[in-house]
Amino acid sequence: MRVPINWLREYVAIDVAVEELAAAINSSVAEVERIVRRGVVDRDGNLGLYRVGRVVEAGKHPNADRLQVCRVDVGEGEPRQIVCGAWNFGPGAAVAVALPGAVLPGGQRLERVTLRGATSEGMILSERELELGPDHAGILVLENAPEPGTPLADVLPLADDVLELETTPNRPDLLAVYGVAREVAALYGAELAPPPGHATPHTIAGDERVDVTVEDRDGCPRYVGRLFRQVRVGSSPPWLKARLVAAGMRPISNVVDVTNYVMHALGNPLHAFDVERLGGGRIVVRRARDGEELRTLDGTLRRLDPRDLVIADAERAVAIAGIMGGEDSEVSKETTDVLLEAANFEPVTILKSSERLGLRTDGSNRWEKGVDPYLAEQAATLATELIVELAGARWTGEVDVRGTLPERPVVRLRPERASTLVGLEIASGEQRERLERLGFDVGDDWTVVVPTWRARDVIREADLVEEIARFRLDDVPFTLPRRRSAGRLTAAQRLRRQVEDVLVGCGFTEAYTSSLVASDPSADAIRLPTPLTSDQAVLRTTLVPSVAAAARRNLEIGNEDVALFEIARVYHPSGGARPSERVHVAGVVEGGFARAKGAVETLFGALRIDARFERAQGPRIALTLGGSVRELEDCLGAFELNLGELLAWRPGVLRYEDVITFPAVKQDVAFVVDEEVPAGALVDAAREVAGPELRQMRAFDVYRGEQVGPGKKSVAFAVTFQSGERTLSDEDAARLRERIVSALRDRFGAVLRH
Amino acid sequence: MDRVAAVDVEALEREALDAITGAADLRELDEARVRFLGRKSELKTALRNIRDRETGMTLNALRDRLEAGVEERRRELEAAERERAAAGDTFDVTLPGQAIPRGHLHLITQIRREVEDVFLGLGYEVVDGDEVEDTWHLFDALNMPPQHITRSPLHTLYLNGDVVLRTETSASQIRVMESRPPPVYVVSPGRVYRRDTADATHSSMFHQIEGLAVDRGITLADLKGTLLHVARALFGEEREARFSTDFFPFTEPSVGMAISCFRCDGSGCPTCKQTGWIELLGSGLVDPNVLANVGYDPEEVSGFAFGLGLERAAMLRHGVPDIRMFLENDLRFLRQF
Repeated sequence: MRVPINWLREYVAIDVAVEELAAAINSSVAEVERIVRRGVVDRDGNLGLYRVGRVVEAGKHPNADRLQVCRVDVGEGEPRQIVCGAWNFGPGAAVAVALPGAVLPGGQRLERVTLRGATSEGMILSERELELGPDHAGILVLENAPEPGTPLADVLPLADDVLELETTPNRPDLLAVYGVAREVAALYGAELAPPPGHATPHTIAGDERVDVTVEDRDGCPRYVGRLFRQVRVGSSPPWLKARLVAAGMRPISNVVDVTNYVMHALGNPLHAFDVERLGGGRIVVRRARDGEELRTLDGTLRRLDPRDLVIADAERAVAIAGIMGGEDSEVSKETTDVLLEAANFEPVTILKSSERLGLRTDGSNRWEKGVDPYLAEQAATLATELIVELAGARWTGEVDVRGTLPERPVVRLRPERASTLVGLEIASGEQRERLERLGFDVGDDWTVVVPTWRARDVIREADLVEEIARFRLDDVPFTLPRRRSAGRLTAAQRLRRQVEDVLVGCGFTEAYTSSLVASDPSADAIRLPTPLTSDQAVLRTTLVPSVAAAARRNLEIGNEDVALFEIARVYHPSGGARPSERVHVAGVVEGGFARAKGAVETLFGALRIDARFERAQGPRIALTLGGSVRELEDCLGAFELNLGELLAWRPGVLRYEDVITFPAVKQDVAFVVDEEVPAGALVDAAREVAGPELRQMRAFDVYRGEQVGPGKKSVAFAVTFQSGERTLSDEDAARLRERIVSALRDRFGAVLRH
Repeated sequence: MDRVAAVDVEALEREALDAITGAADLRELDEARVRFLGRKSELKTALRNIRDRETGMTLNALRDRLEAGVEERRRELEAAERERAAAGDTFDVTLPGQAIPRGHLHLITQIRREVEDVFLGLGYEVVDGDEVEDTWHLFDALNMPPQHITRSPLHTLYLNGDVVLRTETSASQIRVMESRPPPVYVVSPGRVYRRDTADATHSSMFHQIEGLAVDRGITLADLKGTLLHVARALFGEEREARFSTDFFPFTEPSVGMAISCFRCDGSGCPTCKQTGWIELLGSGLVDPNVLANVGYDPEEVSGFAFGLGLERAAMLRHGVPDIRMFLENDLRFLRQF
């Protein structure tokens, strides 16, 4: 919402710097995205170089067919010679003149120049050069202009600041300059002018019937239609164009400009129809027919949905209600009879249509937030005044189709409750005054009657508390809740952090990949019925494919030492309404199975989990506690574990074990076994027969070759014997070793290698 | 007896200590050690032939003194050696050390932990909410009417009619409050999903951390104080906070928080779009409807809630220009942090 300050000042007289005003609005009303400074810079007397001029003489430049040489009175006694490229004026015309030295709105400084031998001591300006309108076909001719030499700023809004507001969806009343003015009045305790058009001198001049039928009262609670005859469609006066341009709209014609102006002033979108183009001269508000089509003002042929609310004539849709008019019935230069629509539309209907059509307009943006139905008549009144005055029209007919309009909500306020919730003592007198300036009626017993334009938004005491609090936000102190509570991470959260830290310590870097993937190895994975894109269609059940993809991208880029991990949720159908979500950790690393397994072993070691690895179906896959380790086709090592399962297997408090008092006996032993025998099975068997005095048995080398024969391998183990109760003698160690050797020989045919 | 008596302890000690302290380098010291303390030395021979306790004690004490002397001289010589090596510029301390690989936590995880830790310090718990939610917990209970724009399938990813990928972490608020009576002091971090086409500032998946305090007597002032504390923890102790009116269905009043720009300290720069202030998060007092929806009595307790976008915080603080970088997993990016 763009709020030109000059326009705002028409409704509320305030004398504060625009920066200060913007800060106050930003704090209490709506976000001010920026302040736009428009038009002629008001600095170093620049404005004084812009004058009203009267053309005394005008004639063709002797040396240039497309230029005129004029003599223009700018109040200096002697007229100035000015060369001009436009031809839409002649002697006697009042024009806008910039004198040499003036800085133009674009930043360029105007100099005295000689054009094809003729000196030009100034410039006759077009409206575009003044940023007052789009027209650059000719210069701006001033009507009813004062004396030559009058400062141009007295006649035209040459300099203006515009506040660009980002309003919240609960405040359609702020999508109007008058609505913002009301807030500014409450901010500064200033007087708010009565709404524009409220004291209109224009009364109806006829009793023509306006044929409006509202078939859908839910979608259209109110429809004010006004009929105008002898309308002279033309261009709008400079002040109106200037306001529209400042507000970010494009001037089109006086009638259309009036509808836009009133929308921006009061917040009620309007539409004007060319009555002659309405079939049967009538208006029917209804839902679209199946398959009905309409070519809208932007030239697009749109297929309508039976849920779309339309404005129709006797035969066909002529506008999509609240969103955009139809091309056929739009007001054109030839139009002489106008039907003005000042309606009220139900927000959800407009919102849904706007979404279906992918068409958002200034109108739909307001309707979808809920426009005050009481506003329609006020808007019609202001528009009538302007159409009569600017287009010389006669107002000849009126209809106001409506049911019962909603009552104003009544809410009880406890001023002390407001102070308590805000944490700042706000005097009840201040609360009352603020609410009243905002249009609330506050009774002696603090019964608050909400104004119609806030009826959707303010319905409870908490809503009133906000109305009071938002004006004092800077004064609210900074405190902390008084209660001291106790917080700590859960075991699962501590585990997650520990896993993160261990893997980082192992050289893995954490990746974040999307939970939504193109496809998932599980046939049961949950598919989104309407995904955003096809590569975000499935909720994954495993992390490895995504992390592996990230690893491969890194390898392609040429990054080195690629090792990635991710901790994220996976999703499995649960049988219930929502899937079961599990937290997994996955890692992918250069260096194949062994590197991945090494990381998992380090992780298990850090977590004090004693886990086994078992061969699973498929090449180079091991199952382990909570997941698996594998080697991917491209020799990347990968693992994935369910953190929930790891949590369950974490030991409680660790008990001290004496590993110091009595020395350990360390030996290396190697066994020759068949290829199929896993080293882990040898260790398991050894532990079984040797008992707890076998402290450690870790394979450190596997040898295949002539010395051991085909189909065989030699596995070398580092073995540690230790007792917590006594020093193991050489004989004790030999006995333990012999037990192992014979057990492995019996079970696996293992031969001790010397 | 005779042979033992032949050892003149004093003379031997003098001679030995002279040789030890006089050793010019480690080789000479070792020669002296062998000569006076070696297996064939006079002292060791005498020790092997001890016949009486007193002589033994004397000779053992001498041996200890000589050994201590050797050790001391060895340390001196080694220290001198190191100094010489360093002074001679032969040892290049600027060469890189032996590489020990270290990974990196994702920047979002780092920020998540920072925020969690700030709130743990304030006595809050951390709760992990599910990412797939039902529309009651995500929308209805949070006071978002059925026609609310966010509920549209144009903005939200639906699994079916009333199951969705959560659009914000706020649903955790409801789950926590449903599960226990007040007071509640929690933060809840996690992934959220929106039907947003990816660009520099939008992603269909990003991370938020939700905060909620509900207790007797919680005020807007408590919200301001708590969030200022967080902002300073994340962005520096000099930060100031500014609050402005805002709108969210689940809070009333609703306020947005901006912090004084940490790049320019308020003088205006591109980070703060020349305003001196940076919008950081949305917050407010918990709407009484939300409290009532979980069976709390809004007359008894009040609360505040906020939601902080972790990517946004990271982008602001570290100047990351594009939200998509957080999901690209380029190690050159990840290893910066």
